[in-house]
Amino acid sequence: MEPIKYVDALNEYYGAMGHPAYQWTINDAAPLHRLDKPVSACTVSLLTSGGVSQCSMPAFNPDARNDHRLDAIGAAADADDFQIHDSYYDHSDADADINCIFPLERLRELAAAGEVGAVAERLWSGFMGRIYNRSKVRDESGPAFAEALEADGVDVLIAAPS
Amino acid sequence: MGLVCRLLEARGIATVYVATGRDLAALVKPPRCLFVNHPMGNNFGARGDAAMQTDILRAALGMLESAEAGGAMMDYPTTWETPFEFRPGGNRDVSAG
Repeated sequence: MEPIKYVDALNEYYGAMGHPAYQWTINDAAPLHRLDKPVSACTVSLLTSGGVSQCSMPAFNPDARNDHRLDAIGAAADADDFQIHDSYYDHSDADADINCIFPLERLRELAAAGEVGAVAERLWSGFMGRIYNRSKVRDESGPAFAEALEADGVDVLIAAPS
Repeated sequence: MGLVCRLLEARGIATVYVATGRDLAALVKPPRCLFVNHPMGNNFGARGDAAMQTDILRAALGMLESAEAGGAMMDYPTTWETPFEFRPGGNRDVSAG
């Protein structure tokens, strides 16, 4: 099937609610950092924005806006120890199997097989959708996240938005 | 999150954005994007399908070596088996009514 036209659907949805037109971020170019070593020598981390938290942590606000919360999740976390609170997508599959959006078991398997160098000490959940104050991402929460990844020696981040 | 990837990339951390929204990703243009034509929330496949989850993760990692320029987008070759649609805050399954 053809890809869903999310931009049109969201413009229509929010327009019908009386909201002003959403100002989509449009970029014409993007930076690219080439790895200087093979993936099999890289430390890899994960990021989900799907309202995922460990059961011992508070739930995310499922209707949050401008929520810059970012949880660190230990690399050895139990895949059954997660909860998902996000009202903007169907997470029934991910409720049953967190690897659908946050493939920590699959990443650990690839590391054990030597296909990636190592799983980073910390994996991440945050930057939940609907962040309108992008300057805060650029100036505060984004750089703080970069520093955490640098502290863990992360070479690669696999990011899965939802 | 695409903005976060762009920021990290500029600081020397390589990223791959595994997206279920092709048009959304095309606008924000993360450094590398693997588009997976699945319902939002199934970026790496269905529950219990470890083989597909691994394959999509491998495809994402593969872009680290294949992408030649920032803004690279690759389409994962298979799509979700059943029709789905997007309803903000709603269900993904057309047949669910």
